Amino acid sequence: MTLAAYIIMGFGLSFVFIGSLGMLRFRDIYSRLQASGVSDNAGLGLILVGLILHSGWDRHDVTLLLLLLLLLITNPIVTHSISRSAFVQHHREEEDA
Amino acid sequence: MPLVETLIIISLVPALVLLWRGPTAWDRLLAYNTASNRIVIVICLFAVATRKAFYLDVAVGYAALSFLGVVIISRFLERGGGHR
Repeated sequence: MTLAAYIIMGFGLSFVFIGSLGMLRFRDIYSRLQASGVSDNAGLGLILVGLILHSGWDRHDVTLLLLLLLLLITNPIVTHSISRSAFVQHHREEEDA
Repeated sequence: MPLVETLIIISLVPALVLLWRGPTAWDRLLAYNTASNRIVIVICLFAVATRKAFYLDVAVGYAALSFLGVVIISRFLERGGGHR
């Protein structure tokens, strides 16, 4: 396990724990989304980069790169769609009330 | 490598706590999404640790399906489903 990969994964892990701490601490759905979406993206992305650098380049790292790309694209989309649905629904309830 | 896996699995617990405690359905949806993202990473760690390449394809499939599921559920909730 090369040292660089270990350090990068350490950073990724710290991001993930900060995100889960933020997810529990915040009161509002939107700030929870902000906390978990951003730090999840960074933390898990860093862990994947650490995995890619783990033991030199081999042909299976292409799948890891694809997964990193997938994560970096889909995570913001998911966070956006959850916050949009929460916003629209709360907005609609206010209109009805 | 096993250390990173156990730490990620430990970090699943806050997501499950939010899944249990979350007042609104969107918190639970967020918790589900966070948990499945972390499970994808655990699968990748396991694949690299045991040198088995086909687990990576499992991780890609699971990530894509969970992304679809969360987006569809959030559209469903947006339409006022579930608690109207």
